[in-house]
Amino acid sequence: MDTRHVVVARVRDFPANTRRLVEVDGQEIGVFNVKGEYYALRSSCPHQGAPLCRGRVLGTNVSTKPYQMEYAHEGEIIKCPWHGWEFEISSGRSIFNPHKVRVRTYDVTVEPPEEEEEDPSIPMYPVTIEAGQVVVHVPVQQR
Amino acid sequence: MTAKQGELFIDCDIHQRIKSPKDFYPYLPRVYREDIDQFGLRLTTTGGGGYLNGGAGGYRADSYPDDGTIAGSEFDLLKEQLLDSYNIEYGILGGQDVSPVSTLPDADYAAAVAAAYNDWMIEHWIERDDRLKGLAVIALQNPKKAADEIRRSGKHPGIVGALVQNGARFPYGQRYYDPIFEALAEMNLPFCIHIGGEGSGVNGQPTPAGYPSYYIENRQSRAMGCQAHIASMIFEGLFDRYPNLQVVFIEGGFIWLPTFLWRLDSDWKALRNQTPWVQKPPSDYVFDHIRFTSQPMEQPEPQRRLLSVFEWAKAEKTLMFATDYPHWDFDSPELSLPALPDAMRKRIMLENAREFFKLPARQLADAVAD
Repeated sequence: MDTRHVVVARVRDFPANTRRLVEVDGQEIGVFNVKGEYYALRSSCPHQGAPLCRGRVLGTNVSTKPYQMEYAHEGEIIKCPWHGWEFEISSGRSIFNPHKVRVRTYDVTVEPPEEEEEDPSIPMYPVTIEAGQVVVHVPVQQR
Repeated sequence: MTAKQGELFIDCDIHQRIKSPKDFYPYLPRVYREDIDQFGLRLTTTGGGGYLNGGAGGYRADSYPDDGTIAGSEFDLLKEQLLDSYNIEYGILGGQDVSPVSTLPDADYAAAVAAAYNDWMIEHWIERDDRLKGLAVIALQNPKKAADEIRRSGKHPGIVGALVQNGARFPYGQRYYDPIFEALAEMNLPFCIHIGGEGSGVNGQPTPAGYPSYYIENRQSRAMGCQAHIASMIFEGLFDRYPNLQVVFIEGGFIWLPTFLWRLDSDWKALRNQTPWVQKPPSDYVFDHIRFTSQPMEQPEPQRRLLSVFEWAKAEKTLMFATDYPHWDFDSPELSLPALPDAMRKRIMLENAREFFKLPARQLADAVAD
């Protein structure tokens, strides 16, 4: 399948615990830096189509027995801005039914800066991760 | 005995009554006699909370004994009109006269009356006909005493559950009631909630909109109470804390169940975070732990409209037949349910109640093959 490679940002401009919203073929995609790892989700809640990736990034309450709970997975959960359905950003799986209710995910890579951006008149430095680009890979929809 | 025709079934809601509060005197502590002589039991058993009732004084007009006294108080008449008129495998006694004990302010008196009733029921009804089983009334003012009563009366093999009313001071999932659920788990008995007591005595008002004026309105408040208890039981983690607990709502209705469960399940997806110990859809808890009795069955036209509801609510698992004899809104075993597939009908009429109350199939000489 053909894949579009969409540059989202430079690594240095995309710090941990932030997000970027990009639009690809009219579809909004949320790209998240969760504790240094990049993930991308389709910004459309499987419930009623809300712009999921504009929701709050939070943790959630977990429990092993009634009346006891603790806060966990801080910064790893996106909560839909409409009805509050929670999804794990890294997998797109919902918290309430991870096997059946999930949101579309996309591969994200960090790649070296493209060569045409290099200017021979500027002194060269070793390429660092910070100079790299965060790229989301979006399959081209069959029309 | 002559062979009885007709379908074998279990009747999950029969109301047997005392003729006089004095019937309890042999079972009650002596200290209460003069009070009862002067003031009665202090329980409103018909027209609860000041409301009227239906039929003839709340009863089938044909259910009064010849002396015209108390419907449901003559064993022989109940036997003739119900047990011998139909092919009943078992009938579950829900009494009536002391069911509102939990509406009383006095916890010790309430517990004493509940215990007296249970002993009276065992001696005068359960031990008189092996088709009859009973629910032990418990008084909720002191959950530890209620637990003691479950352990005491629950030892009798004819006691197949503990009985409370739908009206309550607060919903039944809350931790206040834990001693009761511990005793039920220990005795392997179900928790049985019969409608009544909504807005009576120390209980909360019968609807979120206050007290309605008329009995017909009061009847519609029952489902609200049942729903409050169900939500409480699920979200307080009652079934996680007592995984073997079984609950039945008697006479609280049934057709509201699908829409109520749809609401709970969809809200839970959004609000799961607030009660994270609830780790499966609320409807799963209901289907695993809660049952409902059939009477009073709704009568839409045409009646086959009920079939979708039966399917959505998994009636083959959750619904148990009841007549409510001798009350005026009695449901006929033959004519109250819509036409159903045979297997589903047998579940509703017989098998669900056998499983719920842990009753063995009876080898009845006079029963047609089931």
